[in-house]
Amino acid sequence: MYTYVTGISLIDQVKEGIPPGSNILILAPSMSSGELLGYALAKPRTGEYALILTTVKRAVDLLDYFSHEQFDRKHTGIIDSVTKLSTPDIVDNTQVTFVSSPSDLTGIGIKFSSMVESIFNGEFADADDALFPPPVRFYIDSLTTLLMYRKLEVLYQFLHVITAKLKKMEAVGIYILNNESFDEKTLSLMKQLMNVVIEVKTEQHGEFLRIRGVIGISQEWMPFRIQQGNLELMA
Amino acid sequence: MIRTGITGLDEMLGSGIPRGTRAVFSLEPGVEGRLFMYRTIATVLTDKKKILIIAPHSSGKAFCSEFPGLLELVDPVRAGDVVILDSRARDSINFQEKKLQSRKKAWKTLIQETIDTHAIDVVFVYFDLLYEDLGLDGALGVLPSTHQKKKITTVVEHLNLEGDSLIARFASGKHFDLIISVHSAFTLVPFFNFFTLEYVSWSEMPRRSIPYSTGNRSVSLYIPKIIIMGPASSGKSTFVSNASERGISVDRGDPDGSRTTVAMDLGWLHFRGFDITIFGTPGQPRFDPILPQLVKNAMGIILIIDATRPDSLIRARELLTLPHAAKLPLIVAVNKSDLPHQMDEVMIRESLRLRDDVPVFFISSLKRSDVHFVIETMVDRITRHPY
Repeated sequence: MYTYVTGISLIDQVKEGIPPGSNILILAPSMSSGELLGYALAKPRTGEYALILTTVKRAVDLLDYFSHEQFDRKHTGIIDSVTKLSTPDIVDNTQVTFVSSPSDLTGIGIKFSSMVESIFNGEFADADDALFPPPVRFYIDSLTTLLMYRKLEVLYQFLHVITAKLKKMEAVGIYILNNESFDEKTLSLMKQLMNVVIEVKTEQHGEFLRIRGVIGISQEWMPFRIQQGNLELMA
Repeated sequence: MIRTGITGLDEMLGSGIPRGTRAVFSLEPGVEGRLFMYRTIATVLTDKKKILIIAPHSSGKAFCSEFPGLLELVDPVRAGDVVILDSRARDSINFQEKKLQSRKKAWKTLIQETIDTHAIDVVFVYFDLLYEDLGLDGALGVLPSTHQKKKITTVVEHLNLEGDSLIARFASGKHFDLIISVHSAFTLVPFFNFFTLEYVSWSEMPRRSIPYSTGNRSVSLYIPKIIIMGPASSGKSTFVSNASERGISVDRGDPDGSRTTVAMDLGWLHFRGFDITIFGTPGQPRFDPILPQLVKNAMGIILIIDATRPDSLIRARELLTLPHAAKLPLIVAVNKSDLPHQMDEVMIRESLRLRDDVPVFFISSLKRSDVHFVIETMVDRITRHPY
């Protein structure tokens, strides 16, 4: 069975990564590195693909970020729900597709399926070292925005479908949610769809994370930083 | 009538959606089903009708940009043939009206005023956010009434996150005259899409499902597999060849100079809006072990028998006992009926123990018109068959 290396040494050393079909929720306050932690987890390793649904940054800005952080752009697809609001005429290409707004769950679902299909059909990128099924990391950045556009119950139903598809594809899902903006009911409902929860907090002397849901590893807060798109545990 | 622009679908509906009715395309998450609405919009505009599009999920400009290659929407918008109530209309109503009842009233008034002012013929509604803002009954309540003096046709698209229960609710409440659910069969990836005609108020029609493919901004209905089977030398390969626009045959020459199919005949044709693939099976009993695999996932079977060979009826009967075969639409085509023969329909029905609803046609596979008549009947039966 394929396992997804997380870049979190604690998990990778003990468990060799996380199994396919896993869903990781990052709970992070605003102004923290939670979003970057998501990108570090979503970074495709050799033979893998990453699909990013962005509701925050424009695809063009993300591509810039990927260039700086040594992200494998060839194996990364973006579903951009931001750019069309300001540039309605922008058109899709193989690796970057656009939906009209974060409220358009129909469009998001269609673009997701079509990108997955092109990856599985080998049309997405040349892959000499192709694995089957192709390992895919799907990152939603962020649930916070989606929850501003759609009701909790609707988003839950939508994510329920997406997580089931990721499981069938043997992919992993990564999601980020600002835990300061929502009540306990919202957080608890979102956690129901997840296997692993990574909490992030910011203190005066740095940022810390705590991992829940991976048996056999410490649940203590650990200092971390993101360097060149990779996660480094400081402890 | 308004047409959906999807030929096979319009035919099944009796040339389209009648004026003054309500239709819904209910999309499963992830399935490329938006083209059903897009094509209908494009076709209605081509037919010079005035339309209102309610798209609260999108800005008007972003919505128009979804159409490249299908239709230029910007000019009809400028000319007043298309009016779009977009996310700004929703934002404005939600900002001004804080109570549910007053939001419903505001939507209803806005929609009715737009219909009257612009002499709208057809209303297209992207339903999800209305449903979310107003609840199901509230959102259904703001759709144009079917009892208006001017008959307004309403076509709705929505993302169905609730599955069959919502479809059942639409049907039992008679909220729509036409309900089409759009799905994808998903294993590791969506490997084929299909739609199901769930309910049609203007026609007695059983629930039926049809696969479709998308490409070049159009929807093509397709029948992935019709099986042509029958005893050896009954004329299956000739039938496949004359039915197809293109095809291949895997034959081997026998010592006596005749040819026999050793794997299958394969043919493709486009017929009455359907892309159809037909598979001719080998007739020799030594190939029987592969027949169940060939028949698997077929949508219909055409059994070819030789009118001049009554002795082959035993073999034909044997073929009908294949697993899966009993559940599929079946047609018996009695080939070589232009040659002297003694077989009649009663004899065939008795020998093959056919159900009364299985048609028996006397044909010649050499005549394309005969072959096409059989295929046409099969398409008709497939689209009416409750799988």
